[in-house]
Amino acid sequence: MDPVLRRRLEARFGERLSGPVRQRHDETEIRIGAGDVADTIRALHDEPEFGFTFLADLAGVDTGTHMQVVYHLWSETTPDWLRVVADGLSRDDPRVPSITFLWDGAEWMEREAYDMFGITFEGNRDLRRIYMPPDYQSFPLRKDFYLADDAARSPGAGVRHMEQTHAPRNAAPAATIRRAPR
Amino acid sequence: MTATSPRHASSDDPRVILDEEIGVFEPVPPYPPRTEREAEFYTLRDGEMFINLGPQHPSTHGVLRVVLKIDGENVVDLDPVLGYLHRGVEKLCENADYHHAIAYLDPLEYISSLFCEWPGVLAFEKLLDVEVPRRAEYIRVLATELNRILSHSLFMGWMALDLGGLTPILWSFIERDEIAEMLAALTGQRLLFNYLRIGGVNGDLNHDFMSRLGDWMSRATTQIEANAGLLNENEIFVRRMRGLGRIDGATALRMAFTGPNLRASGVPLDFRRAHPYSVFPELDFDIPTRDEGDCLARYLVRIDEIKQSLRIIDQCIHEMPDGPIMAKLPRLLRPRPGRAYAAVEGPRGQYAAYVVSDGTDQPFRMRIHDPSFIHLQAVGMLMQGNLIADTMAVMASLDPIMGGVDK
Repeated sequence: MDPVLRRRLEARFGERLSGPVRQRHDETEIRIGAGDVADTIRALHDEPEFGFTFLADLAGVDTGTHMQVVYHLWSETTPDWLRVVADGLSRDDPRVPSITFLWDGAEWMEREAYDMFGITFEGNRDLRRIYMPPDYQSFPLRKDFYLADDAARSPGAGVRHMEQTHAPRNAAPAATIRRAPR
Repeated sequence: MTATSPRHASSDDPRVILDEEIGVFEPVPPYPPRTEREAEFYTLRDGEMFINLGPQHPSTHGVLRVVLKIDGENVVDLDPVLGYLHRGVEKLCENADYHHAIAYLDPLEYISSLFCEWPGVLAFEKLLDVEVPRRAEYIRVLATELNRILSHSLFMGWMALDLGGLTPILWSFIERDEIAEMLAALTGQRLLFNYLRIGGVNGDLNHDFMSRLGDWMSRATTQIEANAGLLNENEIFVRRMRGLGRIDGATALRMAFTGPNLRASGVPLDFRRAHPYSVFPELDFDIPTRDEGDCLARYLVRIDEIKQSLRIIDQCIHEMPDGPIMAKLPRLLRPRPGRAYAAVEGPRGQYAAYVVSDGTDQPFRMRIHDPSFIHLQAVGMLMQGNLIADTMAVMASLDPIMGGVDK
Protein backbone atom coordinates (compact mmCIF):
# COMPACT_ATOMS: atom_id res chain seq x y z
CA MET A 1 0.00 0.00 0.00
CA ASP A 2 2.03 2.88 -1.27
CA PRO A 3 0.38 6.28 -0.65
CA VAL A 4 3.02 8.08 -2.72
CA LEU A 5 2.10 6.00 -5.76
CA ARG A 6 -1.59 6.68 -5.23
CA ARG A 7 -1.03 10.43 -5.08
CA ARG A 8 1.11 10.37 -8.21
CA LEU A 9 -1.46 8.33 -10.13
CA GLU A 10 -4.32 10.60 -9.08
CA ALA A 11 -2.31 13.68 -10.00
CA ARG A 12 -1.23 12.42 -13.40
CA PHE A 13 -4.24 10.45 -14.59
CA GLY A 14 -7.01 11.88 -12.43
CA GLU A 15 -9.56 12.59 -15.14
CA ARG A 16 -9.01 9.28 -16.96
CA LEU A 17 -9.58 7.04 -13.95
CA SER A 18 -13.09 5.66 -13.67
CA GLY A 19 -13.13 5.30 -9.92
CA PRO A 20 -10.71 5.84 -7.06
CA VAL A 21 -7.26 4.31 -6.91
CA ARG A 22 -7.76 1.18 -4.82
CA GLN A 23 -5.04 -0.33 -2.71
CA ARG A 24 -4.98 -3.56 -0.77
CA HIS A 25 -2.02 -5.52 0.59
CA ASP A 26 0.78 -4.84 -1.90
CA GLU A 27 -1.32 -3.96 -4.94
CA THR A 28 -2.53 -0.67 -6.40
CA GLU A 29 -5.34 -0.75 -8.92
CA ILE A 30 -6.54 1.84 -11.40
CA ARG A 31 -9.42 1.54 -13.85
CA ILE A 32 -9.43 3.24 -17.21
CA GLY A 33 -11.48 3.03 -20.38
CA ALA A 34 -10.38 0.90 -23.31
CA GLY A 35 -9.45 3.87 -25.47
CA ASP A 36 -7.01 5.26 -22.90
CA VAL A 37 -4.95 2.10 -22.64
CA ALA A 38 -2.19 2.98 -25.09
CA ASP A 39 -1.57 6.49 -23.72
CA THR A 40 -1.78 5.52 -20.09
CA ILE A 41 0.52 2.55 -20.30
CA ARG A 42 2.99 4.43 -22.46
CA ALA A 43 3.06 7.18 -19.85
CA LEU A 44 3.56 4.67 -17.06
CA HIS A 45 6.38 3.07 -19.06
CA ASP A 46 8.22 6.16 -20.25
CA GLU A 47 7.91 8.72 -17.50
CA PRO A 48 10.75 8.42 -14.98
CA GLU A 49 8.62 9.10 -11.91
CA PHE A 50 6.62 5.96 -12.72
CA GLY A 51 9.11 3.76 -14.58
CA PHE A 52 6.85 0.72 -15.05
CA THR A 53 9.14 -0.97 -17.52
CA PHE A 54 8.31 -4.50 -16.52
CA LEU A 55 5.14 -6.11 -17.81
CA ALA A 56 4.21 -8.85 -15.38
CA ASP A 57 0.93 -10.06 -16.86
CA LEU A 58 -1.77 -9.31 -19.39
CA ALA A 59 -5.09 -11.06 -18.90
CA GLY A 60 -8.64 -10.92 -20.15
CA VAL A 61 -11.58 -11.14 -17.75
CA ASP A 62 -15.24 -11.71 -18.57
CA THR A 63 -17.33 -10.24 -15.78
CA GLY A 64 -20.62 -11.52 -17.19
CA THR A 65 -21.84 -8.07 -18.15
CA HIS A 66 -18.76 -6.76 -19.92
CA MET A 67 -15.14 -7.65 -20.59
CA GLN A 68 -11.93 -6.30 -19.11
CA VAL A 69 -8.27 -6.48 -19.96
CA VAL A 70 -6.05 -6.42 -16.88
CA TYR A 71 -2.39 -5.42 -17.00
CA HIS A 72 0.02 -5.96 -14.13
CA LEU A 73 3.11 -3.79 -14.12
CA TRP A 74 6.11 -3.51 -11.86
CA SER A 75 8.54 -0.68 -11.27
CA GLU A 76 11.57 -0.10 -9.12
CA THR A 77 10.10 3.17 -7.85
CA THR A 78 7.40 1.55 -5.75
CA PRO A 79 7.03 -1.60 -3.65
CA ASP A 80 3.51 -2.21 -5.00
CA TRP A 81 2.27 -4.10 -8.04
CA LEU A 82 0.29 -1.80 -10.31
CA ARG A 83 -2.87 -3.23 -11.81
CA VAL A 84 -4.35 -1.35 -14.76
CA VAL A 85 -7.87 -2.52 -15.56
CA ALA A 86 -9.20 -1.52 -18.96
CA ASP A 87 -12.86 -1.76 -18.13
CA GLY A 88 -16.12 -1.55 -20.00
CA LEU A 89 -15.34 -3.52 -23.15
CA SER A 90 -18.57 -4.68 -24.74
CA ARG A 91 -19.19 -8.40 -24.88
CA ASP A 92 -20.19 -8.29 -28.54
CA ASP A 93 -17.07 -6.69 -29.97
CA PRO A 94 -14.40 -6.13 -27.33
CA ARG A 95 -11.54 -4.06 -28.73
CA VAL A 96 -8.57 -2.54 -26.99
CA PRO A 97 -5.27 -1.08 -28.32
CA SER A 98 -2.34 -3.44 -28.33
CA ILE A 99 0.72 -2.73 -26.20
CA THR A 100 3.10 -4.69 -28.40
CA PHE A 101 4.72 -1.39 -29.32
CA LEU A 102 6.11 -1.26 -25.78
CA TRP A 103 6.71 -4.95 -25.06
CA ASP A 104 7.22 -7.53 -27.79
CA GLY A 105 6.48 -10.15 -25.18
CA ALA A 106 2.88 -8.96 -24.98
CA GLU A 107 2.16 -10.43 -28.41
CA TRP A 108 1.46 -13.97 -27.25
CA MET A 109 -0.33 -12.79 -24.11
CA GLU A 110 -2.70 -10.79 -26.33
CA ARG A 111 -3.10 -13.77 -28.64
CA GLU A 112 -4.15 -15.84 -25.65
CA ALA A 113 -6.68 -13.22 -24.53
CA TYR A 114 -8.04 -13.16 -28.06
CA ASP A 115 -8.24 -16.94 -28.23
CA MET A 116 -9.95 -17.33 -24.88
CA PHE A 117 -12.27 -14.28 -24.94
CA GLY A 118 -12.44 -12.89 -28.46
CA ILE A 119 -10.92 -9.55 -27.46
CA THR A 120 -9.39 -7.84 -30.49
CA PHE A 121 -6.10 -6.09 -29.83
CA GLU A 122 -5.74 -3.37 -32.43
CA GLY A 123 -2.16 -3.16 -33.58
CA ASN A 124 -1.09 -6.70 -32.78
CA ARG A 125 0.52 -8.04 -35.95
CA ASP A 126 -0.21 -11.64 -35.19
CA LEU A 127 -3.65 -11.88 -33.66
CA ARG A 128 -4.59 -15.48 -34.32
CA ARG A 129 -5.57 -18.35 -32.09
CA ILE A 130 -2.80 -19.80 -30.00
CA TYR A 131 -4.22 -22.72 -28.04
CA MET A 132 -7.38 -23.75 -29.88
CA PRO A 133 -7.31 -25.14 -33.42
CA PRO A 134 -7.55 -22.49 -36.15
CA ASP A 135 -11.09 -23.43 -37.15
CA TYR A 136 -12.51 -23.26 -33.62
CA GLN A 137 -15.62 -21.15 -33.42
CA SER A 138 -16.10 -20.33 -29.73
CA PHE A 139 -14.15 -18.46 -27.10
CA PRO A 140 -13.72 -20.88 -24.21
CA LEU A 141 -13.17 -18.64 -21.18
CA ARG A 142 -16.28 -16.57 -21.78
CA LYS A 143 -18.95 -17.00 -19.16
CA ASP A 144 -21.48 -18.24 -21.71
CA PHE A 145 -19.27 -21.21 -22.63
CA TYR A 146 -20.09 -24.16 -20.46
CA LEU A 147 -18.07 -27.20 -19.51
CA ALA A 148 -19.98 -30.39 -19.04
CA ASP A 149 -19.21 -31.18 -15.45
CA ASP A 150 -21.90 -33.62 -14.51
CA ALA A 151 -23.37 -36.70 -16.10
CA ALA A 152 -26.63 -35.05 -17.07
CA ARG A 153 -24.72 -32.77 -19.34
CA SER A 154 -22.20 -35.29 -20.64
CA PRO A 155 -21.85 -36.76 -24.15
CA GLY A 156 -23.53 -39.89 -22.78
CA ALA A 157 -26.68 -37.86 -22.39
CA GLY A 158 -26.39 -36.58 -25.94
CA VAL A 159 -24.82 -33.23 -25.07
CA ARG A 160 -22.14 -32.00 -27.49
CA HIS A 161 -19.86 -30.58 -24.85
CA MET A 162 -16.89 -29.43 -26.86
CA GLU A 163 -18.53 -26.27 -28.16
CA GLN A 164 -21.52 -25.76 -25.99
CA THR A 165 -22.59 -22.15 -25.97
CA HIS A 166 -26.08 -22.49 -24.60
CA ALA A 167 -27.07 -22.77 -20.97
CA PRO A 168 -27.47 -26.20 -19.38
CA ARG A 169 -30.91 -27.58 -20.25
CA ASN A 170 -31.97 -28.22 -16.68
CA ALA A 171 -30.73 -24.98 -15.11
CA ALA A 172 -32.72 -21.90 -14.24
CA PRO A 173 -32.07 -19.32 -16.97
CA ALA A 174 -31.34 -16.35 -14.73
CA ALA A 175 -28.64 -18.04 -12.74
CA THR A 176 -26.57 -19.31 -15.64
CA ILE A 177 -24.11 -16.49 -16.27
CA ARG A 178 -22.00 -15.62 -13.25
CA ARG A 179 -21.54 -11.94 -12.83
CA ALA A 180 -18.69 -10.31 -11.00
CA PRO A 181 -19.33 -7.77 -8.27
CA ARG A 182 -18.00 -4.25 -8.73
CA MET B 1 2.89 -60.11 -49.12
CA THR B 2 2.39 -60.50 -52.83
CA ALA B 3 -0.58 -58.49 -54.00
CA THR B 4 -2.82 -60.26 -56.43
CA SER B 5 -5.99 -58.22 -56.12
CA PRO B 6 -6.06 -54.40 -56.11
CA ARG B 7 -8.12 -54.44 -52.94
CA HIS B 8 -5.20 -55.85 -50.95
CA ALA B 9 -2.58 -53.68 -52.62
CA SER B 10 -0.03 -52.18 -50.33
CA SER B 11 1.35 -48.77 -51.03
CA ASP B 12 4.80 -50.06 -50.10
CA ASP B 13 4.81 -52.63 -52.86
CA PRO B 14 6.86 -51.22 -55.76
CA ARG B 15 4.84 -53.11 -58.36
CA VAL B 16 1.62 -51.37 -57.33
CA ILE B 17 0.64 -48.15 -59.00
CA LEU B 18 -2.11 -46.33 -57.16
CA ASP B 19 -4.58 -44.02 -58.84
CA GLU B 20 -4.66 -41.41 -56.08
CA GLU B 21 -1.65 -39.46 -54.92
CA ILE B 22 -0.62 -40.28 -51.41
CA GLY B 23 -0.71 -36.92 -49.72
CA VAL B 24 2.56 -35.64 -48.42
CA PHE B 25 2.28 -33.84 -45.15
CA GLU B 26 2.83 -30.15 -45.75
CA PRO B 27 3.51 -27.93 -42.80
CA VAL B 28 1.75 -25.11 -44.64
CA PRO B 29 -1.78 -24.69 -43.26
CA PRO B 30 -4.65 -25.44 -45.67
CA TYR B 31 -6.47 -22.15 -45.03
CA PRO B 32 -5.52 -18.65 -46.15
CA PRO B 33 -3.26 -16.76 -43.72
CA ARG B 34 -5.17 -15.07 -40.92
CA THR B 35 -2.68 -12.35 -40.07
CA GLU B 36 0.10 -10.45 -41.77
CA ARG B 37 2.72 -12.29 -39.79
CA GLU B 38 1.29 -15.62 -40.88
CA ALA B 39 1.24 -14.48 -44.50
CA GLU B 40 4.81 -13.27 -44.26
CA PHE B 41 5.96 -16.52 -42.69
CA TYR B 42 4.24 -18.90 -45.08
CA THR B 43 5.58 -17.31 -48.28
CA LEU B 44 8.73 -18.99 -49.44
CA ARG B 45 11.54 -17.23 -51.18
CA ASP B 46 13.97 -18.88 -53.53
CA GLY B 47 15.75 -21.86 -52.01
CA GLU B 48 13.71 -22.01 -48.83
CA MET B 49 11.56 -24.86 -47.61
CA PHE B 50 9.46 -25.72 -44.61
CA ILE B 51 10.27 -28.52 -42.23
CA ASN B 52 8.10 -29.52 -39.35
CA LEU B 53 9.56 -30.03 -35.88
CA GLY B 54 6.50 -32.01 -35.00
CA PRO B 55 4.68 -32.26 -31.71
CA GLN B 56 6.19 -35.71 -31.30
CA HIS B 57 9.85 -34.97 -30.86
CA PRO B 58 12.35 -35.80 -28.13
CA SER B 59 13.78 -32.28 -27.95
CA THR B 60 10.82 -29.99 -27.87
CA HIS B 61 10.39 -30.17 -24.09
CA GLY B 62 6.90 -31.53 -24.37
CA VAL B 63 4.37 -31.45 -27.13
CA LEU B 64 5.39 -28.41 -29.13
CA ARG B 65 5.17 -28.07 -32.85
CA VAL B 66 7.54 -25.67 -34.57
CA VAL B 67 7.38 -24.99 -38.28
CA LEU B 68 10.90 -24.15 -39.43
CA LYS B 69 11.57 -22.22 -42.60
CA ILE B 70 15.02 -23.32 -43.65
CA ASP B 71 17.48 -22.37 -46.34
CA GLY B 72 19.74 -25.38 -46.47
CA GLU B 73 20.78 -25.98 -42.90
CA ASN B 74 20.14 -22.40 -41.76
CA VAL B 75 16.89 -21.55 -40.08
CA VAL B 76 15.46 -18.39 -41.61
CA ASP B 77 12.38 -18.16 -39.44
CA LEU B 78 10.20 -20.31 -37.23
CA ASP B 79 6.62 -20.41 -36.08
CA PRO B 80 5.73 -22.30 -32.90
CA VAL B 81 2.29 -23.90 -32.89
CA LEU B 82 0.97 -24.43 -29.38
CA GLY B 83 -2.06 -25.99 -27.81
CA TYR B 84 -1.24 -29.68 -27.91
CA LEU B 85 -1.22 -29.83 -24.12
CA HIS B 86 -3.93 -27.25 -23.48
CA ARG B 87 -6.12 -28.65 -20.72
CA GLY B 88 -8.25 -25.65 -19.92
CA VAL B 89 -6.94 -25.29 -16.37
CA GLU B 90 -8.25 -21.75 -15.96
CA LYS B 91 -11.75 -22.83 -16.93
CA LEU B 92 -11.61 -25.90 -14.69
CA CYS B 93 -10.58 -23.73 -11.73
CA GLU B 94 -13.68 -21.58 -12.24
CA ASN B 95 -15.84 -24.65 -11.75
CA ALA B 96 -13.95 -25.91 -8.72
CA ASP B 97 -13.60 -25.03 -5.08
CA TYR B 98 -10.70 -22.91 -3.86
CA HIS B 99 -9.14 -26.02 -2.37
CA HIS B 100 -9.59 -28.05 -5.55
CA ALA B 101 -8.04 -25.29 -7.58
CA ILE B 102 -4.69 -25.86 -5.87
CA ALA B 103 -4.60 -29.42 -7.14
CA TYR B 104 -5.38 -28.16 -10.66
CA LEU B 105 -2.40 -25.82 -10.50
CA ASP B 106 0.13 -28.60 -9.88
CA PRO B 107 0.38 -30.14 -13.35
CA LEU B 108 0.99 -26.81 -15.03
CA GLU B 109 4.77 -26.87 -14.85
CA TYR B 110 4.98 -30.35 -13.55
CA ILE B 111 8.74 -30.25 -12.97
CA SER B 112 8.41 -27.38 -10.51
CA SER B 113 4.90 -27.99 -9.29
CA LEU B 114 5.25 -26.39 -5.85
CA PHE B 115 6.03 -23.11 -7.63
CA CYS B 116 2.82 -23.44 -9.60
CA GLU B 117 0.74 -23.93 -6.47
CA TRP B 118 2.40 -21.14 -4.53
CA PRO B 119 1.10 -18.02 -6.32
CA GLY B 120 -2.41 -19.45 -6.36
CA VAL B 121 -2.24 -20.11 -2.64
CA LEU B 122 -0.75 -16.66 -1.98
CA ALA B 123 -3.51 -14.95 -3.95
CA PHE B 124 -6.19 -16.90 -2.07
CA GLU B 125 -4.54 -15.95 1.22
CA LYS B 126 -4.62 -12.29 0.21
CA LEU B 127 -8.32 -12.52 -0.56
CA LEU B 128 -8.97 -14.22 2.76
CA ASP B 129 -6.55 -11.95 4.68
CA VAL B 130 -5.00 -15.03 6.25
CA GLU B 131 -1.67 -14.94 7.97
CA VAL B 132 0.45 -18.01 7.47
CA PRO B 133 2.35 -19.29 10.55
CA ARG B 134 6.11 -18.82 10.44
CA ARG B 135 6.90 -22.50 10.61
CA ALA B 136 4.71 -23.11 7.58
CA GLU B 137 6.50 -20.33 5.70
CA TYR B 138 9.89 -21.84 6.45
CA ILE B 139 8.69 -25.29 5.38
CA ARG B 140 7.32 -23.76 2.18
CA VAL B 141 10.67 -22.16 1.40
CA LEU B 142 12.52 -25.38 2.20
CA ALA B 143 10.30 -27.53 -0.01
CA THR B 144 10.27 -25.05 -2.87
CA GLU B 145 14.02 -24.57 -2.87
CA LEU B 146 14.38 -28.36 -3.08
CA ASN B 147 11.98 -28.21 -6.00
CA ARG B 148 14.16 -25.54 -7.60
CA ILE B 149 17.15 -27.85 -7.39
CA LEU B 150 15.03 -30.64 -8.91
CA SER B 151 14.10 -28.38 -11.78
CA HIS B 152 17.58 -27.09 -12.43
CA SER B 153 19.09 -30.59 -12.32
CA LEU B 154 16.61 -31.65 -14.94
CA PHE B 155 17.48 -28.56 -16.97
CA MET B 156 21.14 -29.46 -16.87
CA GLY B 157 20.55 -33.02 -18.00
CA TRP B 158 18.01 -32.08 -20.64
CA MET B 159 20.21 -29.32 -22.02
CA ALA B 160 22.98 -31.81 -22.61
CA LEU B 161 20.57 -34.41 -23.99
CA ASP B 162 19.30 -31.97 -26.59
CA LEU B 163 22.86 -31.42 -27.71
CA GLY B 164 23.50 -35.14 -27.91
CA GLY B 165 25.16 -35.91 -24.60
CA LEU B 166 23.63 -39.02 -23.10
CA THR B 167 25.44 -39.20 -19.76
CA PRO B 168 24.44 -35.98 -17.97
CA ILE B 169 20.73 -36.77 -18.12
CA LEU B 170 21.32 -40.01 -16.26
CA TRP B 171 23.45 -38.28 -13.64
CA SER B 172 20.85 -35.58 -13.22
CA PHE B 173 18.13 -38.17 -12.72
CA ILE B 174 20.20 -39.85 -10.03
CA GLU B 175 20.37 -36.45 -8.35
CA ARG B 176 16.66 -35.87 -8.85
CA ASP B 177 15.75 -39.29 -7.57
CA GLU B 178 17.25 -38.65 -4.16
CA ILE B 179 15.43 -35.35 -3.82
CA ALA B 180 12.19 -36.82 -5.18
CA GLU B 181 12.32 -39.58 -2.57
CA MET B 182 12.95 -36.95 0.08
CA LEU B 183 9.97 -34.91 -1.00
CA ALA B 184 7.89 -38.07 -1.23
CA ALA B 185 8.64 -38.65 2.44
CA LEU B 186 7.45 -35.12 3.16
CA THR B 187 4.51 -34.68 0.81
CA GLY B 188 3.58 -38.17 -0.29
CA GLN B 189 4.31 -37.53 -3.95
CA ARG B 190 7.36 -37.60 -6.16
CA LEU B 191 6.33 -35.18 -8.89
CA LEU B 192 3.00 -33.41 -8.47
CA PHE B 193 3.25 -32.61 -4.81
CA ASN B 194 -0.10 -30.96 -3.94
CA TYR B 195 1.52 -29.92 -0.69
CA LEU B 196 0.71 -26.25 -0.18
CA ARG B 197 -2.62 -25.43 1.40
CA ILE B 198 -4.41 -22.16 1.99
CA GLY B 199 -2.91 -20.99 5.25
CA GLY B 200 0.03 -23.36 5.43
CA VAL B 201 1.24 -26.74 4.27
CA ASN B 202 -0.24 -30.19 4.37
CA GLY B 203 2.06 -32.09 6.70
CA ASP B 204 4.82 -31.30 9.13
CA LEU B 205 8.46 -32.30 8.73
CA ASN B 206 8.95 -35.90 9.74
CA HIS B 207 11.90 -38.01 10.75
CA ASP B 208 12.20 -39.78 7.39
CA PHE B 209 12.39 -36.50 5.50
CA MET B 210 14.83 -34.86 7.89
CA SER B 211 17.21 -37.80 7.92
CA ARG B 212 17.22 -38.03 4.14
CA LEU B 213 17.68 -34.29 3.88
CA GLY B 214 20.58 -34.21 6.31
CA ASP B 215 22.20 -37.13 4.55
CA TRP B 216 21.83 -35.53 1.13
CA MET B 217 22.97 -32.09 2.26
CA SER B 218 26.27 -33.47 3.45
CA ARG B 219 27.00 -34.69 -0.07
CA ALA B 220 25.07 -32.17 -2.13
CA THR B 221 27.76 -29.64 -2.90
CA THR B 222 30.30 -32.15 -4.14
CA GLN B 223 27.63 -33.99 -6.11
CA ILE B 224 26.52 -30.84 -7.88
CA GLU B 225 30.11 -29.84 -8.57
CA ALA B 226 30.67 -33.26 -10.13
CA ASN B 227 27.55 -33.04 -12.26
CA ALA B 228 28.32 -29.54 -13.45
CA GLY B 229 31.93 -30.49 -14.03
CA LEU B 230 30.82 -32.95 -16.68
CA LEU B 231 29.69 -30.09 -18.86
CA ASN B 232 31.22 -26.82 -17.77
CA GLU B 233 34.55 -27.47 -19.37
CA ASN B 234 33.48 -29.89 -22.05
CA GLU B 235 34.82 -28.41 -25.26
CA ILE B 236 31.94 -29.53 -27.46
CA PHE B 237 29.35 -28.22 -25.04
CA VAL B 238 31.03 -24.86 -24.60
CA ARG B 239 31.74 -24.30 -28.24
CA ARG B 240 28.18 -25.13 -29.20
CA MET B 241 26.66 -22.90 -26.58
CA ARG B 242 28.94 -19.91 -26.34
CA GLY B 243 27.69 -16.96 -28.36
CA LEU B 244 24.49 -18.75 -29.39
CA GLY B 245 21.14 -17.05 -28.93
CA ARG B 246 22.58 -13.87 -27.48
CA ILE B 247 20.01 -11.53 -26.03
CA ASP B 248 20.85 -8.26 -24.31
CA GLY B 249 19.18 -6.85 -21.20
CA ALA B 250 16.99 -4.24 -22.86
CA THR B 251 15.62 -6.72 -25.38
CA ALA B 252 15.02 -9.24 -22.64
CA LEU B 253 12.91 -6.70 -20.74
CA ARG B 254 10.99 -5.91 -23.91
CA MET B 255 10.27 -9.60 -24.33
CA ALA B 256 8.92 -9.68 -20.73
CA PHE B 257 11.55 -12.22 -19.72
CA THR B 258 11.92 -13.19 -16.08
CA GLY B 259 14.05 -15.50 -14.04
CA PRO B 260 17.42 -16.97 -15.03
CA ASN B 261 16.90 -16.01 -18.68
CA LEU B 262 16.71 -12.36 -17.68
CA ARG B 263 19.53 -12.58 -15.14
CA ALA B 264 21.82 -14.19 -17.72
CA SER B 265 21.34 -11.07 -19.84
CA GLY B 266 22.61 -8.78 -17.13
CA VAL B 267 19.38 -7.62 -15.46
CA PRO B 268 19.58 -8.57 -11.75
CA LEU B 269 15.83 -8.88 -11.22
CA ASP B 270 14.81 -11.59 -8.75
CA PHE B 271 11.41 -11.29 -7.12
CA ARG B 272 12.64 -12.85 -3.93
CA ARG B 273 14.61 -9.64 -3.45
CA ALA B 274 12.76 -7.12 -5.60
CA HIS B 275 9.29 -7.85 -4.27
CA PRO B 276 9.87 -10.08 -1.26
CA TYR B 277 7.25 -12.56 -0.13
CA SER B 278 7.22 -15.26 2.53
CA VAL B 279 10.34 -15.21 4.74
CA PHE B 280 12.87 -14.25 2.08
CA PRO B 281 13.70 -10.90 3.74
CA GLU B 282 15.23 -12.92 6.60
CA LEU B 283 17.30 -15.25 4.45
CA ASP B 284 20.75 -14.55 3.15
CA PHE B 285 21.50 -15.46 -0.47
CA ASP B 286 22.97 -13.93 -3.61
CA ILE B 287 21.44 -13.45 -7.02
CA PRO B 288 23.73 -14.87 -9.70
CA THR B 289 23.83 -12.69 -12.77
CA ARG B 290 25.83 -12.87 -15.96
CA ASP B 291 26.28 -10.37 -18.76
CA GLU B 292 26.78 -12.37 -21.90
CA GLY B 293 23.17 -13.39 -22.48
CA ASP B 294 24.02 -16.43 -24.55
CA CYS B 295 23.03 -20.06 -24.00
CA LEU B 296 26.12 -20.77 -21.95
CA ALA B 297 25.35 -17.86 -19.61
CA ARG B 298 21.80 -19.14 -19.09
CA TYR B 299 23.19 -22.56 -18.23
CA LEU B 300 25.82 -21.21 -15.82
CA VAL B 301 23.30 -18.95 -14.05
CA ARG B 302 21.16 -21.96 -13.25
CA ILE B 303 24.13 -23.93 -11.91
CA ASP B 304 24.96 -20.98 -9.66
CA GLU B 305 21.35 -20.82 -8.52
CA ILE B 306 21.53 -24.42 -7.35
CA LYS B 307 24.36 -23.41 -5.04
CA GLN B 308 22.36 -20.48 -3.70
CA SER B 309 19.40 -22.78 -3.12
CA LEU B 310 21.62 -25.00 -1.01
CA ARG B 311 22.48 -21.97 1.13
CA ILE B 312 18.82 -21.18 1.59
CA ILE B 313 17.96 -24.76 2.51
CA ASP B 314 20.77 -24.77 5.04
CA GLN B 315 19.44 -21.61 6.68
CA CYS B 316 15.89 -22.99 6.71
CA ILE B 317 16.99 -26.14 8.48
CA HIS B 318 18.89 -24.25 11.14
CA GLU B 319 16.38 -21.47 11.71
CA MET B 320 13.20 -23.53 11.52
CA PRO B 321 10.82 -22.10 14.14
CA ASP B 322 8.33 -24.13 16.11
CA GLY B 323 4.62 -23.68 15.86
CA PRO B 324 1.61 -24.70 13.84
CA ILE B 325 1.84 -25.51 10.15
CA MET B 326 -1.65 -24.36 9.17
CA ALA B 327 -3.64 -21.28 9.99
CA LYS B 328 -7.06 -21.87 11.51
CA LEU B 329 -9.56 -21.60 8.69
CA PRO B 330 -13.08 -22.86 8.13
CA ARG B 331 -13.46 -25.66 5.63
CA LEU B 332 -15.92 -23.73 3.49
CA LEU B 333 -13.94 -20.74 2.30
CA ARG B 334 -15.72 -17.66 1.02
CA PRO B 335 -13.22 -14.89 0.38
CA ARG B 336 -14.27 -11.27 0.13
CA PRO B 337 -15.27 -10.13 -3.36
CA GLY B 338 -12.23 -8.56 -4.95
CA ARG B 339 -9.06 -9.15 -6.87
CA ALA B 340 -5.61 -10.35 -5.85
CA TYR B 341 -2.35 -10.82 -7.69
CA ALA B 342 0.57 -12.82 -6.32
CA ALA B 343 3.88 -13.68 -7.94
CA VAL B 344 6.77 -15.89 -6.92
CA GLU B 345 10.24 -16.41 -8.33
CA GLY B 346 10.33 -19.90 -9.74
CA PRO B 347 13.11 -21.76 -11.51
CA ARG B 348 11.90 -20.52 -14.87
CA GLY B 349 10.92 -17.03 -13.90
CA GLN B 350 7.91 -15.27 -12.52
CA TYR B 351 4.95 -17.53 -11.80
CA ALA B 352 1.90 -15.49 -10.96
CA ALA B 353 -1.79 -15.84 -10.31
CA TYR B 354 -4.50 -13.20 -10.64
CA VAL B 355 -7.66 -14.25 -8.88
CA VAL B 356 -10.99 -12.48 -9.11
CA SER B 357 -13.38 -13.49 -6.37
CA ASP B 358 -17.14 -12.88 -6.32
CA GLY B 359 -17.73 -13.86 -2.73
CA THR B 360 -18.65 -17.48 -3.43
CA ASP B 361 -16.58 -20.56 -2.72
CA GLN B 362 -15.42 -20.83 -6.35
CA PRO B 363 -12.94 -18.48 -8.01
CA PHE B 364 -14.65 -16.23 -10.53
CA ARG B 365 -11.52 -15.95 -12.67
CA MET B 366 -8.27 -17.75 -12.07
CA ARG B 367 -5.62 -16.34 -14.35
CA ILE B 368 -2.29 -18.18 -14.36
CA HIS B 369 0.76 -16.41 -15.65
CA ASP B 370 3.48 -18.70 -16.77
CA PRO B 371 7.07 -17.79 -17.67
CA SER B 372 7.72 -20.53 -20.22
CA PHE B 373 4.91 -19.14 -22.37
CA ILE B 374 6.64 -15.77 -22.53
CA HIS B 375 10.09 -17.16 -23.17
CA LEU B 376 9.01 -19.34 -26.06
CA GLN B 377 8.12 -16.24 -28.05
CA ALA B 378 11.77 -15.30 -28.17
CA VAL B 379 12.95 -18.45 -29.95
CA GLY B 380 12.07 -17.04 -33.36
CA MET B 381 14.02 -13.89 -32.69
CA LEU B 382 17.06 -15.78 -31.43
CA MET B 383 17.22 -18.24 -34.29
CA GLN B 384 18.06 -15.87 -37.14
CA GLY B 385 20.74 -17.41 -39.27
CA ASN B 386 21.48 -20.34 -36.99
CA LEU B 387 21.51 -24.02 -37.85
CA ILE B 388 18.65 -26.42 -37.28
CA ALA B 389 20.56 -28.19 -34.54
CA ASP B 390 20.92 -24.88 -32.73
CA THR B 391 17.14 -24.63 -32.45
CA MET B 392 17.28 -27.39 -29.86
CA ALA B 393 20.10 -25.67 -28.00
CA VAL B 394 18.30 -22.34 -27.89
CA MET B 395 14.97 -23.84 -26.84
CA ALA B 396 16.61 -25.96 -24.18
CA SER B 397 18.51 -22.98 -22.78
CA LEU B 398 15.28 -21.04 -22.37
CA ASP B 399 13.97 -24.02 -20.37
CA PRO B 400 10.31 -24.15 -21.33
CA ILE B 401 7.94 -26.74 -19.93
CA MET B 402 5.00 -27.29 -22.24
CA GLY B 403 2.58 -27.98 -19.42
CA GLY B 404 2.98 -24.37 -18.40
CA VAL B 405 3.11 -22.99 -21.91
CA ASP B 406 -0.15 -24.64 -22.88
CA LYS B 407 -1.87 -24.55 -19.49
